[in-house]
Amino acid sequence: MEFKDYYKVLGLERGATQDQVKRAYRKLARKYHPDLNKDAGAESAFKEIGEAYEVLGDPEKRSAYDQLGKNWKGGEEFRAPPDWDAGFEFSGASTEGTRDASEFFESLFGGMGRRRASHGQAEFHARGEDHHAKILISLQDALNGATREITLRAPELDAQGHVVLRERTLSVQIPKGVTEGQHIRLKGQGAPGVGRMPAGDLYLEVQFEPDSLYRVSGRDLYFDLPITPWEAALGASVKVPTPAGSIMLKIPPESFQGRELRIKGRGIPAAEPGDLYAVLRIALPPAGTEKAKKLYADMARELPFDPRAKLGF
Amino acid sequence: MTTDRPSSGSSSEILETSATCTLDELCTACHVETEWVTSLVNYGAIDPVGNEQAHWRFAGIAVVRVQRAKRLERDLGLNLPGVALALDLLDKIDELRSRLKVHEPFVS
Repeated sequence: MEFKDYYKVLGLERGATQDQVKRAYRKLARKYHPDLNKDAGAESAFKEIGEAYEVLGDPEKRSAYDQLGKNWKGGEEFRAPPDWDAGFEFSGASTEGTRDASEFFESLFGGMGRRRASHGQAEFHARGEDHHAKILISLQDALNGATREITLRAPELDAQGHVVLRERTLSVQIPKGVTEGQHIRLKGQGAPGVGRMPAGDLYLEVQFEPDSLYRVSGRDLYFDLPITPWEAALGASVKVPTPAGSIMLKIPPESFQGRELRIKGRGIPAAEPGDLYAVLRIALPPAGTEKAKKLYADMARELPFDPRAKLGF
Repeated sequence: MTTDRPSSGSSSEILETSATCTLDELCTACHVETEWVTSLVNYGAIDPVGNEQAHWRFAGIAVVRVQRAKRLERDLGLNLPGVALALDLLDKIDELRSRLKVHEPFVS
């Protein structure tokens, strides 16, 4: 197990005041809160910051940690000395439930809140916690519906009150027509309830794997359609892909770069299905041959055209 | 670490398109007090359909929004106007990000 330098996590010197600890924590918590920061890694950074603050923000735990931490550096192999916390009194206000604490944290502070919890006299009932996770699916799964297995890891208390990571595989039915950013609820698939109360629910936030052809916006799909300058200028009928097979698409004359042609109802299916958009990309033929060069030269001579007319000189 | 066998697929429900829920159902799903959700409504952070509180109906996605509001309050110490503002800004960011993604040409 690695030693964790909680001061480094919060970007602080060892001599920081409690106010400085609080300020650093608040600032970093805003920066990495998983609801505010969608970057991969934000969630684990947020947890680490929370853990650091749980120790450094509590003067009792902080002085115990300081006592221990003088000779350690972050990342070093660490084992808690026996009775390391002798002589320190903990009020045990925090360390709630099965928070996803690091092994390092658990080895130091893990027993505290729970030792007290086990003294409860009456039978205890509580609904299981809800769990949240992200699920990465392909666009094809959303278009057609699918059943996918996902593996979730969640901390759980065993009979002795230790935190163990439990891994479970769930078979999830992906409803046809789900779109990116939507949430799927699986009733009763969260943490088990305590006593006679029901289990919590599992919430899955849907994310799409990047697709090689389509970009997704809500239920609408976009793809780039390369066309020639003469197809753009004169109009044409070209074969284009759609999720349900290829169709012929009419390109109106005088089309321009970036024009979006809507193919109604060919996006992600739903009661009100999304649309498919072909985004025109005009591809220039290379001037690699004498013939091509001559054609370009003819155009230059014959077509009065100044694309820079609006630049003002 | 222990591993379970795959459990059979329980019914999955898309919250964004699922049926509406009542105030009580919303509070149960989110583990929050009725008064707290009422305050969220009063700050315009979530919008029910129906005039009187007894007849309020919420869109399925309100569950996600209320849970998010709860996390923001708990983790960042925001008050309710702050929570409402954060939720609005997050909506705006989601919308902009989605538009940006569509107009970002493919890296070939």
